[in-house]
Amino acid sequence: MVNLEELKSEIKRVLGEGKVKYFIGYRRSTGGLPAAPFFMKETEDVERLIWDPTCIANLTRFLDDEKKRKARQKEPDTRPIGIIVKGCDSRAINVLLQEEFIKREDVYIVGVSCEHSGMVDEKKLAAKMKGKAVAQVDFAGKDNFAVTAADGEKTGIPAAEVLAGRCVECKVDYPVVRDVTFGEELARSPGNAFKSVEKIEAMSVAERWDFWKEQFDKCIRCYACRSVCPMCYCDECVVDTINFAVTAQTGAKEKAQKIKWIEKSPATSENFFYHMVRAMHLAGRCVDCGECERVCPVDIPLRFLNKKMEKEAKELFDYDVGMNPELPSLVSSFRDEDAEDFIR
Amino acid sequence: MKRTGVFICHCGINIARTVDVKKVAEELANYPGVAHSEDYIYMCSDPGQNKIIDAIKENNLDRVVVSCCSPTLHETTFRNACKAAGLNQYLCEIGNIREQCSWVHEDREKATEKAIKITKSTVQRLLRNEALEPISVPVTRRSLVIGGGIAGIQSALDLANSGYEVVLVERSPSIGGHMIQLSETFPTLDCSQCILTPKMVEASKHPNIKLMTYSEVEDVSGYVGNFKVKIRKKPTYVDPNKCVLCDECSKVCPVVVPDEFDLGLTGRNAIYIPFPQAIPATYTLDSKNCPGLVPIACGKCADVCEAGAIDFDMKEEIIEEEVGTIITATGFDLYGKENMAEYGYGKYADVLDGLQFERLLSASGPTGGKVLRPSDHKVPKEVVFIQCSGSRDPEMHCAYCSKICCMYTAKHAMLYQHNVHGGQSYVFYIDIRSGGKGYEEFVQRAVEDDGVVYLRGKVSKIFEEDNKIKVWGVDTLTGKNIEIDADMVVLAMAMRPSDGMSELTKKLKIAVDKDGFLSEAHPKLKPVESVTAGMFLAGAAQAPKDIPEAVAQASGAAAKAITILSQEQLYHSPAVAEVNLNLCTGCGMCVDVCPYDAISLEDGKAAVNDVLCEGCGTCAATCLRAAIQTRNLTPLQVHEMIKASLGG
Repeated sequence: MVNLEELKSEIKRVLGEGKVKYFIGYRRSTGGLPAAPFFMKETEDVERLIWDPTCIANLTRFLDDEKKRKARQKEPDTRPIGIIVKGCDSRAINVLLQEEFIKREDVYIVGVSCEHSGMVDEKKLAAKMKGKAVAQVDFAGKDNFAVTAADGEKTGIPAAEVLAGRCVECKVDYPVVRDVTFGEELARSPGNAFKSVEKIEAMSVAERWDFWKEQFDKCIRCYACRSVCPMCYCDECVVDTINFAVTAQTGAKEKAQKIKWIEKSPATSENFFYHMVRAMHLAGRCVDCGECERVCPVDIPLRFLNKKMEKEAKELFDYDVGMNPELPSLVSSFRDEDAEDFIR
Repeated sequence: MKRTGVFICHCGINIARTVDVKKVAEELANYPGVAHSEDYIYMCSDPGQNKIIDAIKENNLDRVVVSCCSPTLHETTFRNACKAAGLNQYLCEIGNIREQCSWVHEDREKATEKAIKITKSTVQRLLRNEALEPISVPVTRRSLVIGGGIAGIQSALDLANSGYEVVLVERSPSIGGHMIQLSETFPTLDCSQCILTPKMVEASKHPNIKLMTYSEVEDVSGYVGNFKVKIRKKPTYVDPNKCVLCDECSKVCPVVVPDEFDLGLTGRNAIYIPFPQAIPATYTLDSKNCPGLVPIACGKCADVCEAGAIDFDMKEEIIEEEVGTIITATGFDLYGKENMAEYGYGKYADVLDGLQFERLLSASGPTGGKVLRPSDHKVPKEVVFIQCSGSRDPEMHCAYCSKICCMYTAKHAMLYQHNVHGGQSYVFYIDIRSGGKGYEEFVQRAVEDDGVVYLRGKVSKIFEEDNKIKVWGVDTLTGKNIEIDADMVVLAMAMRPSDGMSELTKKLKIAVDKDGFLSEAHPKLKPVESVTAGMFLAGAAQAPKDIPEAVAQASGAAAKAITILSQEQLYHSPAVAEVNLNLCTGCGMCVDVCPYDAISLEDGKAAVNDVLCEGCGTCAATCLRAAIQTRNLTPLQVHEMIKASLGG
C-alpha cells in the first residue's frame, strides 16, 4: 500500500534539498474525475499531491517538453526533473532512455505501485454509477475501489468492472525503472495481454476495413493523440504540412526537399494515412499507456492499432517494449534467428 | 527549364520483343523536362554511346536517362559517355526496363505502359539529382590473407612476389592446411607433402610475408583500401627462436590427447609439434589440455628444456594491422561423423573417413604408409569405399555434390590395390564425375589396371559382425543385392566450410550461401570477389574444389587484390547518406542498422563516414524523423518517382 504521507515527505525532501528543478505528480482536477498533472516547485505545493485510482495520466510526456524547453534556453537549469510514474509510465521512460532522448541523470523517478488493481476508466465508472456524480475514488485493497459519490454516499466496486482497458492488459503494475518505489513491487500476470485485439483479428479484411473507415471518418485531426504521446517527440511530424523544424539555419535546398505527404483537411483517406503512419512509427515503441485513446474526443479505439503492433513485436521477435533500456530498439535490431517468413 | 535527354534501348529483341520501344520514346518526347528522346537497337554499343554524346552536344542536354538493362551492368558505361560529353556523371540515371519489365512480362501493351512509367519516374528522380564528384580515398597497399592452406599460401606468395606486403593468418600452429595431410594427389600421384613444403618454406622466408600462426581474426573494420584488422595471437608458451626441436618436452609430457593432424588415429602430447615439417618449426603448448598453467600444475616440459624456450608467462596478444584488401581462404572440414551414424562412422573403429585413410596411406602417417585396420592393426583384405557419404542427399544431409570425392576415392582404391597385394577394393557410387584434365583416364586406370570393383548403388546397412564390417547394398545396374564382408570401410565424406567460418564471416561482413560456403559476387563473372568491395575468396571456403582449382582461384584472388593495391587512390560513389541536423534527435537507430558501420553519434547527432557509406539507404528507411537521407535518392525523389509510377 502506498503511504501518501511518506510519498509526500520524500518529494518534500527532494524539493527541499534543491535536488530537482521541479516535481511532476497529480492533484485533484477542477474539471473532471481524472487527476490533473501537478507541477510542484515549493515544498508547500506538495500538500495538494494525491495518489488514487484517478491518477491515470502518463506524465512522461512532460519530460519530452522539458528537454525541448531546455534546448531553447541559453543557460538552462540542468537539475533533473522529479516525476511520479506507474508501471506503464516507467516503460515509456525506458524507451526514451533507449532512444537516448533523455538521460537517466536528467530524471529523478519516484515509482508507485498500482496497488494490485489499476486505474479507473472514467467512462466505465460513469456507466456503473448510472450518471451519478463521483467525488472521489480510492484504492480499497486488492481488486477493489471505494467510490465516494458527490452526495457523500460510499460504494465498493470490484476493480475489474471499471478498470481502464490498458490496466486489464497490463504487463507490469510496478515501475521497472525508478530511484525509489512506494508500495509493493508485485509483478502481475495479465492472462492474455492481447485479448482486446482478438475482436479485430476475428474480422474479415472487408469487415476490418469498414470498421476502421468508420472510426477514421470521425477523426477531426485535433492531434490530441500525438500531443499526449511520450513517443511522439519529433520536432517535425511527417504528416505536418507546416514545418516546425524550419529554422534560420534551414537552407533553401532543405526547404525544397519538404514533401507534402498528406492534406491537412480531415478527409477519411488523409486520416487513414495519419493514423497508419503514427501506428507504424510507434511499432516497438508504444508501451500501451493508453493515453491516446483516453484523450481522443471522438472515441477512436487507438489502442487496438498499437496493441496489434505490440503483439506482432512479441510474437515475431519476442520483443517486450520498454522493459530493458540496454537493448537496441526493435526496428534497429537484426538477429540471425529473426522470423522472415512474413517477407514475401 | 531542365533539358533531359531520354534514350531507350531495344537490347536487340530482349526489350523490343515485349516493349514497344518506339512508343516509349515518343511518349517521353512530350514529357515535361524532356528535351530529346530517341531509341536505338544497342545503346551500349559504340554507335549507341556516340548517339548520347552527340545528342548532349547538339541539344544542349543537361541530364540523361537511359532506359535499358539493370544499372549493375551498364550504369558505368553510360555515365562515362556523359562524362565524355562534358556532363556530370551523376546527372545520368538508368531506368531498368529489361530485368524489371520486358523479361518478366508477356503482355506487350501493358509492358510498354510499364516501361513508360519506369522511364518517367527515372526522369522525375533525375530532375532532382545533384551534380556530385566521386570521393577519393588513399589505399593501404598491403593485404591480409586468412587461412594458411594451399589457397592462402598461393595468394600470399602471388601478392608478395608482386611486391605487396602480406599478413598471412593461420589459426592452427602450422601452415599447410589439409593438403599437408594428404598422401598422394590425383591424377599424377605426386607426393602431396613434397610439392607443398617448398611453397610453405617460400612463404615463411619471404620478406614480404608476415606469417601469423596460432592466430585468429578478431575484428575487421574499415572499407576497401583501408581495412583495420585486429588479430588475436594465442600464446604458444614456446619461444620459437629458442626452441631447438629436441623433442624432450613432449617425451615427459604426461597428457595424451587425440592428434588433430592424424585425425585421431594417434595421440599427441599437450606440448607438441603438429608434424615434422611444421612451419614455423616450433613446439606449441596447448593450454586447453595442459594440466594447468596458472598455477603451474606440472611444469615437467620446462624442467627438461635445456634451451629455456618454454615461457609459461606468455600472454595472448591483440595485434592491429592495416590492409587494403582481404582474401579469405579458410578451407574446409569434412562433414561430421556424428551425422553419419547410419554408416557406423564413429561407432566402428574400422569405418574411416577419407582424410583418415589419407593418413593411413601417407608415408609420414601413423602406420608409415601401411594400410592397417585401426582396431587390430591387421591388413584389411577387403575394403569398401562409399562415395557421396553425406553429399547429394537433400533429405538427410548436404544437397550439393562435394565434387572431389569421385577422384580421391578412385585414388584411394588405386593406392590400396598398390599397397595390399591380393586385396580387393569396392566402390559404391551414384555417378562418377571425373571432369578434368587426365581425370577420366585416372578412374579408368583404377578399374582396368588395378581391378577396383565399381558398384553403382547405395549402401543400405553397415554393421559389425565376427570382426568384419558387413556392408549391405544394391548394385542397381544388375539389380542384385550385394553383401560384402569387409575389413574396412572408407566414407567419402562431403566437404563443408571449415569450423568457425560463420563467426568469421560475421566479422568480415561477407555473405555465405545456403550451405555455408562463401558467396561469390557473381557466379559467372565475379567468381573470386565477395559482395563486399576489397574482399576476395579463394579455395574450398567458396565451394568444394580440388588442389589445382583452389590454386587457380587463389592466384585469381591475388590478381584481383592487386587491381586495388596497385592504385594510388580509390574512388567511391558520392551517393552517400547525409544527416539533417535540425531533425536528428540522436536516437541512434541508424547507427544500429547501418550494415557498414558508417554512422556514429557525434555530439548527440548522427554523423556519416562518407567513405564507409555505400548509400544503401537502410538508415533513411529506419529514421522515424526523415533526418537522414541518401544523396540523389532522397525521400522527395522517391515520392516523385512513386507519383510518376502511379501516373500522376
